[in-house]
Amino acid sequence: MKLDPELELWRSEWQSATESPVTADLRRRVTRQSLYMRWLLVAEILITIVIGGATIFVAAIDPRAAKIILAAATWLFIAAAWTFALISRKNSWSPADSTTSAYLDLCIRRTRTALRSVIFGAVLYAVEMAFCLSWIFHETSSLNSTTIEIVTAITALFAIFLIRYRSRKRAELAYLLNLQLE
Amino acid sequence: MTLSTPAKSEPPENESSDQRFDRLLAANGPALVRLAASYTNTTSDRDDLFQEIAVAIWQALPRFRGESSERTFLFRVAHNRAIDYLRRHRPPSSPIDADTILPDSRPNPEARFAGEQQGERLRQAIHGLPVPYRQVITLVLEEVSYGEIAQILGITESNVGVRLNRARQLLRTLLEERK
Repeated sequence: MKLDPELELWRSEWQSATESPVTADLRRRVTRQSLYMRWLLVAEILITIVIGGATIFVAAIDPRAAKIILAAATWLFIAAAWTFALISRKNSWSPADSTTSAYLDLCIRRTRTALRSVIFGAVLYAVEMAFCLSWIFHETSSLNSTTIEIVTAITALFAIFLIRYRSRKRAELAYLLNLQLE
Repeated sequence: MTLSTPAKSEPPENESSDQRFDRLLAANGPALVRLAASYTNTTSDRDDLFQEIAVAIWQALPRFRGESSERTFLFRVAHNRAIDYLRRHRPPSSPIDADTILPDSRPNPEARFAGEQQGERLRQAIHGLPVPYRQVITLVLEEVSYGEIAQILGITESNVGVRLNRARQLLRTLLEERK
């Protein structure tokens, strides 16, 4: 084939000039994740104010030991959740650079954090539920069937959500790690 | 100069629309991104146009009956969508004129990104070409044959040659200016 050197040079420069759709996809992922992280932060602040505030309010108007313990435990759980969230989100708000590999690194870091948060969420839920049931039992001297049914239903729903979320995040992580290998 | 002309490609049997779309985009995605980049100023606009092109291809695929190669079909849809994008994003008082070089008002790339690559310089220069020349040169750089370019743009092959020669002259001038 007869080659035109000028066009061949331009062709090779042109075809190496732009990023692939994969990069565009990564950028969209990062943008979506960032938006999700902001909403999550707002939700966490609201939960802290509403639930934390409510337990303090209840303990203030009825300062019995049980109510004070409930408020203290609630704030302990909130503190644990915030500690995990703050540590997880450290350096996760934006890519270190505007390169493809920086976006990919950030995506992978966030996905791994999401997987860790599944385990943390499950443990925290179990501890909270154990505390709540113990507290209710201490207050009422019994656990009626309605309470147990409600707790079972909530636990089942939460477990299904966690399993599906973990499965989605694992698939996402596999896809991202594969991209990193390419 | 000789350019290869891919044979008309028949889609694999039992291929669903989704699979066909994924296959075409996987094979031609980078070329379509470059095409989108030649019509836009920013990465974000380029990504938007690429999305629009992808949607247009998705919508047009069921109507494709194999009258041309899949690549010709893809580029035709992409160019039509890109022209539509330009029409929507350009002031009406600025018509596309092949006889004038549109001034490039964007900041010098070297000023924006230190040590920018040759490819980016070429892309900026191509972006400064009038649209009819830009269309031809970008397709040639994607290794599309004269015949296919003629089909995509709805012009004759000799017209493709004329536009390409003019585009090359202008491109050399623009690249010299950017040195």
